[in-house]
Amino acid sequence: MSDAIVEYRGISKFFAGIRALEDVDFACRPGSIHAILGENGAGKSTLIKIMAGVLQPDAGQMLLEGKPVTFPTPQAANDAGIVCMFQELSLVPDLSVADNISISKPPRRFGLIDRRAQVARAEELLAQVRCEDIDPNALVRELSLSRRQMVEIAKAIGRDPKVLILDEATSALTSRDVQTVYDLLAELKAKGIASLFISHRMHEVDALCDTLSVFRNGQHIETFAKGEKSEREIVRLMIGRDVEAQFPPKPAPKPVEERGEELLSVRGLKWGNRLNGIDLSLRRGEIVGLGGLDGQGQKELLLALFGVLRDVEGEFLIGGRKRLASSPAAAKSGRTRIALVPEDRKTEGLMLGMPIADNLLAASFSKISRGPLIDPLLARKAVDEEIERLRIKIGSSADPVMTLSGGNQQKVVIAKWLMTDPDIILLNDPTRGIDVGTKQEIYRLMRELANEGKAILFYSSDYAELIGCCDRVSVLYAGRVVSEQEGDAITEESLVAASLNIGIEAA
Amino acid sequence: MRISIAPENRPIVIASLFVVVILLAGTAYTLSTAGSAPLLSPNYLLQQLQTGSFLGICAAGMMMVILLGQIDLSIPWTLTAAAMTATAVGGDMALPTALGVGIAVGLLNGFGVAYLRIPSMIFTLGVDTVLRGLMVAQTGGFAPQDTATPLMLFLAKDKVLGIPVAIFVWAGVSAIIALMLTRTGFGRSLYATGSREGAAYLSGIRTKWVIVGAFVISSVCAATAGFLLTGYSAKAYQGMGNAFLLPAIAAVVLGGTHILGGKGRYTGTLIGVVLIVLLNSVLSIMQMPEAGRQIIYGSVIITMLLVYGRNQRVTS
Repeated sequence: MSDAIVEYRGISKFFAGIRALEDVDFACRPGSIHAILGENGAGKSTLIKIMAGVLQPDAGQMLLEGKPVTFPTPQAANDAGIVCMFQELSLVPDLSVADNISISKPPRRFGLIDRRAQVARAEELLAQVRCEDIDPNALVRELSLSRRQMVEIAKAIGRDPKVLILDEATSALTSRDVQTVYDLLAELKAKGIASLFISHRMHEVDALCDTLSVFRNGQHIETFAKGEKSEREIVRLMIGRDVEAQFPPKPAPKPVEERGEELLSVRGLKWGNRLNGIDLSLRRGEIVGLGGLDGQGQKELLLALFGVLRDVEGEFLIGGRKRLASSPAAAKSGRTRIALVPEDRKTEGLMLGMPIADNLLAASFSKISRGPLIDPLLARKAVDEEIERLRIKIGSSADPVMTLSGGNQQKVVIAKWLMTDPDIILLNDPTRGIDVGTKQEIYRLMRELANEGKAILFYSSDYAELIGCCDRVSVLYAGRVVSEQEGDAITEESLVAASLNIGIEAA
Repeated sequence: MRISIAPENRPIVIASLFVVVILLAGTAYTLSTAGSAPLLSPNYLLQQLQTGSFLGICAAGMMMVILLGQIDLSIPWTLTAAAMTATAVGGDMALPTALGVGIAVGLLNGFGVAYLRIPSMIFTLGVDTVLRGLMVAQTGGFAPQDTATPLMLFLAKDKVLGIPVAIFVWAGVSAIIALMLTRTGFGRSLYATGSREGAAYLSGIRTKWVIVGAFVISSVCAATAGFLLTGYSAKAYQGMGNAFLLPAIAAVVLGGTHILGGKGRYTGTLIGVVLIVLLNSVLSIMQMPEAGRQIIYGSVIITMLLVYGRNQRVTS
């Protein structure tokens, strides 16, 4: 293995006695795009954190270009040419794009930061990732999640990596940007740079990577070249058991008159210049998808229905009421209850530092109270029920929710809302950055909830999910519904075409 | 043997140990100089707790606001304004007046922070200054009545069953606050909002009401303390609240409440108050000059916060 750029020999890492990685041998060659696959908690993050100098191994040795190295800090790893983009975006929201891109080594003149050089450098790097539309002087907080991720990529490229680690780097990207990233990685590959690619989207891994390594329970299971194994075999390696079909079966489409009661009807919904006249209808028992490129108003639509936005215009009929809810507190109570699983579970969905139990109960204080006081027995029962129902893997419900894996955190957000027994469930990309097993559980849960008579509005940036889960899909473009598709008519081609607002009508 | 302590209880344990250390050090000092141990006599301790009850009530209110990651700097003049207005009105209406002033100031603070989105550090400081101006104006032209009413004197100075009534008042306030924090939706919402306001709002918690509620509790506590303090010193006077702001914040933070909000237990605040009261009294028994007292007092607060900070870093 003398040709490896990074090599692990017997690396182990334990957290409080729990195995995160054990005796891992692993190598990655220059000029390859190497996928790391595994469920959440399989040890992928630990693997790359050790490489990036964030964590120190408890045992074993790491070699860079054949020489033993240790990285006491991320800075040291950076200097050695290992650049990592972490799953959690690491941009500073209140600084400009240009500031963020050169945050660790800004160009200097006379010891002071040279703003002009900094902007020029940002422009050059953004051009490399084909995001000329991003203003280097814009604040990061003004950008959408997918744009931020592209800035993150530009920032990583700017550090001249020998090894580039992308941890879920494409999870929030639009399809167009994903293509850009593919092209970019191919260019880097030609230059002899090794890329480590962590993704939960099999088709991305398939399109992009040449080598695949599977991890499970902190162990390196197998490394093989692309094409050696079928997708089914790979999934089996990852979870160590067989899986049934990825999506639960959909019920046959019913004629309009046999469908469930219409819970929500919206006509001509307008908000500022983001939503420009949206028509939407939602019935009991159905899953309606929201498609389209990122940032076409899907998020705003969900927020408007949940009562977060002010000055929303349009005609509404929601469970007999002619108005939108005035606040999330109003949306979750009343006769027709609405729940929202927000886009960013770490900042919008969860109080990360608080116990799991408190997070689960955060929307349901009135349900567990007798008179003015919370009944600890009722609270405990409600928490245990939801943990059991969603099979959330926890140690103790008093642990902070941040100790859970991404998939289990998302389950906590969903469970919190199921506790309120909502009629309408709004989901904003609920499977982003979580493992295959949990994704499937969420798909199944969505269908079960729909069968119980709930109405589900589901935004996803992954077309496969929309096709696999939804009874109907409305595709948004520039704050408008440009296409509505039903049943078998929902295909990848039709969704992509509608997303780009290209008028292809089925010939 | 290692005893494991939950991270949120660690500051409480450290603060309790420190209370014991202060008592022992103070006793050692008095034994060596005077040959007696006044610090350990129940009467002396009760008297300390009686004077500590004013601070304790202020700190209880301050804790609500700090749990939100906010701060209430208007405590001194809220306390003074409530006391001075109450004595000016006098009679049976004194108590409702004091509480009314507290509620009004709290609503104003809450409105400024929750709805106008002005940082609480600025807004409450402004309110404090305005209140001071109002009180100066009130006493400028004529001298309003400033003597304590009988109820004030009873609550602050009398004893029931040999225990000062003020301690009962403090205990009552503490019981209400502790119950509210652990067993009501409002209390839980307070932690949730302080932990991450955006997530709390999207969970359907009425976060603005929670913020207003916390500021109202803080101001009402300050007003109650003002009411008692008037009885203790027999009259209301300008600047009577000045000595309470920093110790109140210090007690809350020494008790382990996270200054950025979301974490903390009321027991900690109680121990924080006891710690500060005892530290002060030991320093005065030692006849430490004022300058020295200030230096020791400040150093203790900083040192203890450093100890907490290290612990948190190690555990995370």
